[in-house]
Amino acid sequence: MVEDAQVGALLVRRCIAGDTGAWEEIVQRYHRRIYNICYRFAGSADDAQDLTQEVFIKMYRTLNTYDLEKGALMTWVTTMTRNLLVDHFRRTKQDRMTDSLDAAPSDHEDAAPLSERIEDKALTPDFGVQSRETRELVHRGLQKLSPELREAVILRDLQDMDYKDIAAVLKVPEGTVKSRINRGRAELARLLQRTYRQVM
Amino acid sequence: MPDPTKMQCGEIDALLSDAIEGKLTGAQLASFEAHTQSCASCGPLFAEAAAGHTWLKSLEDVEPPTEMVTNILVATTGLDTTRLHAKFGERISWLDRAQDWADGFFTPVLAFARQPRFVMSFGMIFFGLSVSLSMAGVKVTDIRHADLRPSAIKRGYYETSGRVVKYYENIRFVYEIESRVREFKKATAPAETEPIKKDNRHTNDTSQEPEQHQERNYSQGDSQQLLASSPTQPPVVILEGTYRRLS
Repeated sequence: MVEDAQVGALLVRRCIAGDTGAWEEIVQRYHRRIYNICYRFAGSADDAQDLTQEVFIKMYRTLNTYDLEKGALMTWVTTMTRNLLVDHFRRTKQDRMTDSLDAAPSDHEDAAPLSERIEDKALTPDFGVQSRETRELVHRGLQKLSPELREAVILRDLQDMDYKDIAAVLKVPEGTVKSRINRGRAELARLLQRTYRQVM
Repeated sequence: MPDPTKMQCGEIDALLSDAIEGKLTGAQLASFEAHTQSCASCGPLFAEAAAGHTWLKSLEDVEPPTEMVTNILVATTGLDTTRLHAKFGERISWLDRAQDWADGFFTPVLAFARQPRFVMSFGMIFFGLSVSLSMAGVKVTDIRHADLRPSAIKRGYYETSGRVVKYYENIRFVYEIESRVREFKKATAPAETEPIKKDNRHTNDTSQEPEQHQERNYSQGDSQQLLASSPTQPPVVILEGTYRRLS
């Protein structure tokens, strides 16, 4: 991890010195990761492509402001990506707040209690989890999470970031990160089980 | 009094992620499991979170578009080099690179040059230059390296313009002589021509008359005297000023 941070810092220094090869290496190194974050957050490949390009343009312009003391290049890039995604979210006004786990159940919800639904063997995550359709359902379910929960689970479960780094990116305490991740995972499970119930 | 070995609901939230990811061990894990199995709110929460974690882990990384790196580099540094294309597996030889460069330069020019209007214009320019050069006495086969020096070109310009002026002056002198001779003839035979002229006044037939328009064009404005209208006086021919050499 420390080695990665040093490699990133060295690449930035070379890039600022005018080495275009270093910039190319940075792009090669991080474009896949940024694209995946953007794709899972924004939901569409086109938006993800535009946003990824936007991230790198902003990064290229502000590369001289990167400070190794404040964190690894990967954390810096991810923070920048997250900020642009939030801006994009506000710009497109797609604020799709989902039912919170803390909220009271709706009146027309005549389904079984939550605990019973979770225990329903037909709706366990193992059910067809490898199929492309299932992955598509999960991806669409992810879009229905609130942005705070979505970004937390994307960074943790899809990008495998440490809680500490996620806290640095989201600028919230580690405890809040864990809480958001727990709520995000549980909320996604509820949404998917509801979807499966409708489909089946 | 609560059992200190048992976990409270507030602690579960902090340990939930670690429990799902399998990081809890020993007594902590036992306490966690004991609580979630007995608690009506923490148990379902743990089950939901675990299910969500499994769903999310089923998602795989998606492949970015192949041209993405190129687009980013072009958008940031304007870099779209052959080295970049080669890096993505396309091996490009120097010949192909030269051909690409030549194509990039010549293709638009050739596309423009192939248009009929351009061909017609070029043909007209070529024809005009050929006629002008041949009239000026320039032959392409006579052009030597020495003729292309600035001093030689300048000298050639003055020689050519001198020839043109001389040619014009000679033509003008010939017409002047012809005009004077014609006037002299008229002046020496007034009696014979006068009745004919009278008869011709009543007709529109002017075919027998001399070409007065030409005489005016080439002789008016000089200091000569027109004597055709004074037959009683002896003819006087005065040529002033010009002693030209025919060359």
